[in-house]
Amino acid sequence: MEFKKIELSKREHKPLQVNPIKHSQPMGAALAFMGIRNCMPLMHASQGCASYTKVFYTRHFNEPIAMYNTSVSDITAILDGGDYSILMAIENITKKNKTLKPEIIGLHTTGLTETKGDDVRSVGTHIEIPYCYVNTPDYEGGMESGWALTAKALIVQHTKAATEIKPNKLLLLPHVSMQPIEVEKIKEFCEGCGFETLALPDLSTSLDGYLSEGQGKLGTGAIGVDDIAELANSATVVTIGTSMIMAANALLQKNDKINHIHFNHLMGLENNDNFVAQLMKIGQNEPKSSVKRWRGRLQDAMLDAHFLIGSSHFVITGEPDMCVGMCELLQSVGGTIDALIATNYSPVLETIKAQNVFVGDLEDAVTHFEKADLVISNFHAERLLHSQEKHTALTLRGFPNYEELGNQLKNDQLYEGSAQFLFEVANALRHVKHGR
Amino acid sequence: MVNRAKIKELMNESACSHSKDKKPGEGCDMPKPGMAAGGCAFDGAQISLFPYADAVHLVHGPQTCLGASWETRETLSSYEGRDHTSMGFTTGITVNDVIFGGDKRLADSIDYIMQNYKPEAIFVYSTCVTAMVGDDIDMTCKLGSQKHGVPVVPVHAPGFVGGKNLGSRIAGEAVLEHLIGTKEPELLTPYDINLIGDYNVTGDMWQYLPLFEKIGIRVLSSMSGDGRVGDIRGAHRAKLNVIVCAKSLITLCRKMQEEYDIAWISVSFYGQRDTSFAIREIVKALGDADLMAKAEAVIAEEEAKLQEKLLPYQKLFAGKKAVLNTGGNKAWSIASGLQDLGIEVVATSIKKSTADDVEKAREYLGESGVLMKSPASEQSKVIDERGAHILLAGGRSLYTAIKKKISFIDVNQEKKVSYGGYDGLLNLAEDLKYAFANPVFANVSKKAPWEVA
Repeated sequence: MEFKKIELSKREHKPLQVNPIKHSQPMGAALAFMGIRNCMPLMHASQGCASYTKVFYTRHFNEPIAMYNTSVSDITAILDGGDYSILMAIENITKKNKTLKPEIIGLHTTGLTETKGDDVRSVGTHIEIPYCYVNTPDYEGGMESGWALTAKALIVQHTKAATEIKPNKLLLLPHVSMQPIEVEKIKEFCEGCGFETLALPDLSTSLDGYLSEGQGKLGTGAIGVDDIAELANSATVVTIGTSMIMAANALLQKNDKINHIHFNHLMGLENNDNFVAQLMKIGQNEPKSSVKRWRGRLQDAMLDAHFLIGSSHFVITGEPDMCVGMCELLQSVGGTIDALIATNYSPVLETIKAQNVFVGDLEDAVTHFEKADLVISNFHAERLLHSQEKHTALTLRGFPNYEELGNQLKNDQLYEGSAQFLFEVANALRHVKHGR
Repeated sequence: MVNRAKIKELMNESACSHSKDKKPGEGCDMPKPGMAAGGCAFDGAQISLFPYADAVHLVHGPQTCLGASWETRETLSSYEGRDHTSMGFTTGITVNDVIFGGDKRLADSIDYIMQNYKPEAIFVYSTCVTAMVGDDIDMTCKLGSQKHGVPVVPVHAPGFVGGKNLGSRIAGEAVLEHLIGTKEPELLTPYDINLIGDYNVTGDMWQYLPLFEKIGIRVLSSMSGDGRVGDIRGAHRAKLNVIVCAKSLITLCRKMQEEYDIAWISVSFYGQRDTSFAIREIVKALGDADLMAKAEAVIAEEEAKLQEKLLPYQKLFAGKKAVLNTGGNKAWSIASGLQDLGIEVVATSIKKSTADDVEKAREYLGESGVLMKSPASEQSKVIDERGAHILLAGGRSLYTAIKKKISFIDVNQEKKVSYGGYDGLLNLAEDLKYAFANPVFANVSKKAPWEVA
């Protein structure tokens, strides 16, 4: 297909998507609820939405997925205001599994239930279990915003207002594209700097590929509704990813003494230096020696990789908060980003200096594959690339990755993850550039 | 638009064996809040039609419907043109379309597809939201079809009307109404059949089609594995409809019998016995003595070849016992395959089975076989009592296998190779061979140092 320049815009440039990379808001919300301890993620939808979401995450994480739905039918779509389906669903689920003891019900809507206009807030008054609702129609936003809206809803609805702060308590708000190990690494990093650290949502103990009995019934995240209630006494809230700023703002409403620090991403030397500097300022602590060691390793990795990456052209597709980090890290070692194709509009995309930055699909992306040395995309790009004569390398990142194993343990964050990411990219480039 | 009367009719299919278990007028089960786990009607409709590689499948709905479903099924195609089954097309409606209607977006999308991809046909799937806001999909499709001169077929299976099975029936209705009988086949033989309900997942069909060719059975059209829209349009000239392992498309076959006088039979191609039985049923139904004789010769030859190849496996598997926990027809079709390999199937699940399936399971497993009504709680006990060596089940049961230190195969995982036909049995045998030999299940089950007293 012929090449045409597409501008960054909130408006779509064509009537449809061909080979889409965008994922829906309810899917982001469902994932967020899986990151809460003993949460029952309940999708207010017809059964297909939940079934698709479940299969999607099952195949990405290779794990049983906790996911329930209200199975809206053609009749309840018209006659029910949400009360019947939601209350019946909770009753049926808890009646069938007597051992199931959810600490919170995470209800989120879909295009269908938003179109019919259910009052999911008022249903909560009839439920004895703590309840969090979030409006996530899939005709708006995307996975990133669904995840962020859920984090925000949990804070707005379940965090008690406070006036005092605990000086060393830190809350981390990670964006949706972070895999379980990445959340864990950043948490450990903060704990190493002397902070009592919580993450919301916290997938580090959920979907992290951990063998145990009775999986896939409730969310097993590392943060509980009791922890969420006490979040407003955190001294510091750290947002990683622009999408999460609204959740931090919601927390500041609960206590204006909280200090908010924000990073668009934690990839590469510059952002991590800033991150460490900020933590040092707050905690008055020198970083651990291993952190210093990893910084040196990243410096070395940058030098090792700069030759291959510095002479290469890249196409990156995915959620904005994920893409921006990869983009800046590759650019910091001389990589040329030919195109960044995002799933959705985000203001952070305006900050990216690349020839082509726009919201689109893989049909749009393919027009840039031809000239690229390496593509970073989800697994859908694989077949499209293989059908091309030219050898373009591919590094799989973002949802979904149905084919590769170990997605949950891939870390691209901090000094350490950035170094590993550069090596992975450089090694992939070596195959196509020197193999010719 | 969604047609209530039609849905009611589809849910009370007289030819379906499920209906025997129901009170008159009760029909299929409606999804219960909180209890429905499988896919929706849209999912079923898409699965039934998606293998048509020469058509574009356009999903008119918000993001979840297609975003999470494209490129998830290994339905292989031999189509030499642009294979649309590995692509995803969606209108991806936004809030504006919900308020003002999505017809214009749909019409523009149809134009875009015809300009850029020139498919033989377009299937347009309505979804919950576009059905609810009342987009006039029928009219938009009709106009699109007139404008571009190819069939643009509306498929009205929004998720909220029911489960996957119903959606598949609705897809059958759409094909019957818009495609079948709209074109005459170029060539006809007395041995033309339509294959219904095999989607050629991992190339299942290709395991048995070479046998058909040897015998002289010709596949006129397929719904829809490795299918072509052009062929299904001439399906009304076939002599026989062959349903493969699917109850959902019985309505289509019954109606084709009524309208076009085409007889139908239902068969399965899992395992040696079922494959031979299926071939005999087909040639019997075609009613030609020469064909029957040829079929017997081919069956004898293939079975002999297979037996020889199976021998080393049967030796290897002698004395092995298996517990099977999977739903629907897999409960007996895989059992049949395992038995062909010389493995004793000591238990199978009948949790969601119809009376027919239960009967069949009993027939295959014999009097001593355990038919598990709630396999999740029963399977551990059965493994202990019968000394089973392998558990074939979904991923959730993996932990049971590890605790019991026995081998495991995830039967619900997307397969990469086919278990269909005679040769598929060899693929199953290979997988089993490796599963039995693999020490991983016992190794993983070892206690951690801090758990050892």
